[in-house]
Amino acid sequence: MSNRIGLGFAAALASLATMQVAAHHGAGVFEPEKKVTVEGTVTDFQFVNPHVLVYLSVKGDGGKDVQWGGELTSPNRLARDERAVKWHKEILKPGDRITVTGHPARNGAPMMDILKIVDAKGTVLIDDE
Amino acid sequence: MNRERNAAVASVCALVLWVSAATAQVPTKGEHNADLSGVWTNQNVPGTGEWAIYTFSKDLPEMTAWGKARFDASKPQRGPRGVPVAETDDLVYKCYPPGTPRIYIHPFPMEIIQLPGRVLMIFEYDHLVRQIYTDGREHRTDLAVSWMGDSIGHWEGKTLVIETNNFNDKTWIDRIAVPHSDKMVLTERLHLNDQGQLQIDMRIDDPVALAKPWEFSRYYRKTDWTIEELMCVDNATYTPFEDALLEFDEEKAE
Repeated sequence: MSNRIGLGFAAALASLATMQVAAHHGAGVFEPEKKVTVEGTVTDFQFVNPHVLVYLSVKGDGGKDVQWGGELTSPNRLARDERAVKWHKEILKPGDRITVTGHPARNGAPMMDILKIVDAKGTVLIDDE
Repeated sequence: MNRERNAAVASVCALVLWVSAATAQVPTKGEHNADLSGVWTNQNVPGTGEWAIYTFSKDLPEMTAWGKARFDASKPQRGPRGVPVAETDDLVYKCYPPGTPRIYIHPFPMEIIQLPGRVLMIFEYDHLVRQIYTDGREHRTDLAVSWMGDSIGHWEGKTLVIETNNFNDKTWIDRIAVPHSDKMVLTERLHLNDQGQLQIDMRIDDPVALAKPWEFSRYYRKTDWTIEELMCVDNATYTPFEDALLEFDEEKAE
């Protein structure tokens, strides 16, 4: 995971350096007509603009761990009264067990546009289903 | 003699001070007829959610040949003609300002602050600011063309009427690439409607790009939020996620 973040940071710097700042890919890469639910352990939580990102380790077929990633809207919006639960930068932390539902990536990547997150206590942190 | 002269000088000075003070206190045309201040967020009309996130009306406006040619040549990321980010020529994806009125499509709040002779609109998105002068001045003619335009306002009853011109022609009116020229004039009418919403009725006149004026409205709900930071360059922090998503190779993953 640390390698992944390191590479990501380098990529971000490279993007800034060339002023080719990548932006949102739009909703087309996810399948709005499908949903997937996975349960796993949070490995990374980034409460950052433009999209809050959640990474979790999920036990896949054959017992192999699969790294899933999911995106939410902006932290500003998650922290406002549009939400039943107001989010903050410590609402999730590595090691937390969560169940996540979302629209899966069209290309089969273990990534999703997150609709719902339920924590280990059964608290619904977000529900846009 | 000296005393008389000093008294006379003092009188003149007092008169000058009085005139200066009186001049400073003359009411300007900058008083406001209604209180539109506050932090406002988009409240799209039910049923418009699909297109309201990328344009201003269900149907495209009627364009001139010039406008249609530009529209056809563009590659918007959103809407029915949407292409992947890597292929779009939408300058906003390179963090250029979205311009006015496209800024209203961004799903982030804006704050209205009313000052004597001036109304400020502070947008959360990229902290863009519009200054709308309501002190009776005319549009300036010495400004370079701009992304957000030159805005002059006046009150008609409790409606703030804003006319904005002096745009460059680099932005699109919306996110699906409806174009405009540097002759575009945007007229906005801001008022509180019966539902307590801030209603902004807009009309775009651009004889170069549009065959006839394009008219539409946007609606805002008042909030107790504060304007926070949301900088376009932060999109770079999203790059690793986006790259992993777009470059995923299922065969390699297995």
